Amino acid sequence: MIRFENVSKSYDGGSAALEDMSLEILKGEFVFLVGASGSGKTTFLKLILREEVPDQGQIYVAGREIGRLAPSRVPYLRRNLGCIFQDFRLLPNKTVAENVAFALQVIGRPRSVIHSQVSQVLELVGLGQKGARMPDELSGGEQQRVAIARAFVNRPLVLLADEPTGNLDPATSQGIMRLLDRINRTGTTVLMATHDVGIVDTMRRRVIELDNGTLVRDQARGVYGFDATTSTRGVPAITLGVARDGEPPTGRLAAVRARRGTR
Amino acid sequence: MLQLPFEYFAKETASNLWRNRVMALAAVLTVAVSLSLVGSSLLLRQAVNRQIGEFGANVSLEVFMNPGAPRQQIAEVRSMIEQTPQITHFTYLGPLQSYEQAKRLLASSPAAVSTLSPAVVPTVFRCQLATPQDATALVATFSNGVPGVYRATSPLQSIHVLEQVANVLQVILIAIALLLLISSLVLILNAIRMAIFARRREVSVMKLVGATNWFIRVPFMLEGLVQGLLGAAVAVVIVLLANVGVGYLVRHYHVSVLSSSVLPAHDVLMTELLVVAVGVIVGVVGSSVAVRRFLEV
Ligand SMILES: Nc1ncnc2c1ncn2[C@@H]1O[C@H](COP(=O)(O)OP(=O)(O)O)[C@@H](O)[C@H]1O
Ligand SMILES: [Mg+2]
Repeated sequence: MIRFENVSKSYDGGSAALEDMSLEILKGEFVFLVGASGSGKTTFLKLILREEVPDQGQIYVAGREIGRLAPSRVPYLRRNLGCIFQDFRLLPNKTVAENVAFALQVIGRPRSVIHSQVSQVLELVGLGQKGARMPDELSGGEQQRVAIARAFVNRPLVLLADEPTGNLDPATSQGIMRLLDRINRTGTTVLMATHDVGIVDTMRRRVIELDNGTLVRDQARGVYGFDATTSTRGVPAITLGVARDGEPPTGRLAAVRARRGTR
Repeated sequence: MLQLPFEYFAKETASNLWRNRVMALAAVLTVAVSLSLVGSSLLLRQAVNRQIGEFGANVSLEVFMNPGAPRQQIAEVRSMIEQTPQITHFTYLGPLQSYEQAKRLLASSPAAVSTLSPAVVPTVFRCQLATPQDATALVATFSNGVPGVYRATSPLQSIHVLEQVANVLQVILIAIALLLLISSLVLILNAIRMAIFARRREVSVMKLVGATNWFIRVPFMLEGLVQGLLGAAVAVVIVLLANVGVGYLVRHYHVSVLSSSVLPAHDVLMTELLVVAVGVIVGVVGSSVAVRRFLEV
């Protein structure tokens, strides 16, 4: 679904935000993108969205190399990608239903389609009764659900989430994660950048860790923390049978907990 | 195939205009004033041209004889005119004909007419010239002590003055109109820039969910177009009123000399179409520049 081949990206004058990144994310996967602030997570997502273009290497989304995509084709790429953010990015002067409908309106969907799709997706995110509310009348968790509804209403192939729980308390975050999990089970690939240790540890999904723009870990059922004893630094996870299958060794978990305790 | 969401564009444009109504009004009024100037100066030009055509076609040189000049002198002047190659054609108005014409010209002041009689009205040779440029020289020839000649005049001389005044006036009007057109362009550009700024959240969401560039641009382009068109509409009305006003003055005050300044409907229509076209151009150019500069899509 998404493939990076030796992708490097640096911003004007800065050091590399991403360096020689190669990895593949398959259709229907749920992937966490973790790493310290400034490690390149947002850059990674922006490259997929083609908000940024790589300096080197190729990026394939749904089989198409997007680096050489004509600017006029970019909107059609984005119609296959849903997107949510830490700050929700809802339109404050539109109701919940209008916010969701807007995403279909501006890609020229007919009104009848919009109507049914919007109420359907609002049901899905658990806001069936709140379509007429304004965003500022909703809790943070509900606002993020609206954002998810907006991102998902056009049934994208991939859902990109940039720290979607960054502004939410743990209980609310749990709800959001359940929703993302449900969306993932419809076959949608989910790629989520996060700082949230608890979430990554409980979900047990594939974890890609970035450090200073380089891939330092790619683990099939990973946890947030990095454990030196099972370090996969610099080695593509695909080749790591240990990390792919089943639970990691208990020693590893303990090490992670210890690390977290010292923070 | 592609469904054009006209309703969406109409709503967006209307709400942008309403949100930005003060700026929009300023832009519309400036367009209106400048296009009114453009329109009126074009009509003025056409009126002057018609007026000149009228004068020039009828008569190019008039040689007035002293009232009661002897036949001999009249015959001499006639042969002199006949021998002047620059004069292609002439007619002689005798005392009665000249008197009738004077009455017609002075119809609006009966008091003046009552002082006239065929005996005191100068008779006149009306001559047509091959080229209007000869007028001044011939006026000099016939004024310089030809026996019996009261004076020689050529409307072409006053036409020349009229033409020059009209030229200067038109240059001034066009210059002011151009300045105002540039300011209306800037005002429209700025109005669209503010609309883009006010809608930056919507625009960023649109880009995110995959709206095409033209889709994002259309409401802003329409907004500029509407401002240009509204300004043009006001100008069309003003130009029309100006033309009707001149017509009224001519008829009401019998300013028959200006009768040809009342333009036929066809000329007025063409001028109004031009006004609308310029309004559209100003609106579209202003919003295109704003969209290109300030809408990063
Ligand atoms: N628009 C930008 N211009 C210049 N540098 C940037 C820009 N965006 C990100 N960076 C730099 O690129 C690096 C990676 O940033 P980012 O991808 O935002 O990391 P993360 O999302 O993991 O915090 C950082 O060093 C950051 O300062
Ligand atoms: Mg980030």
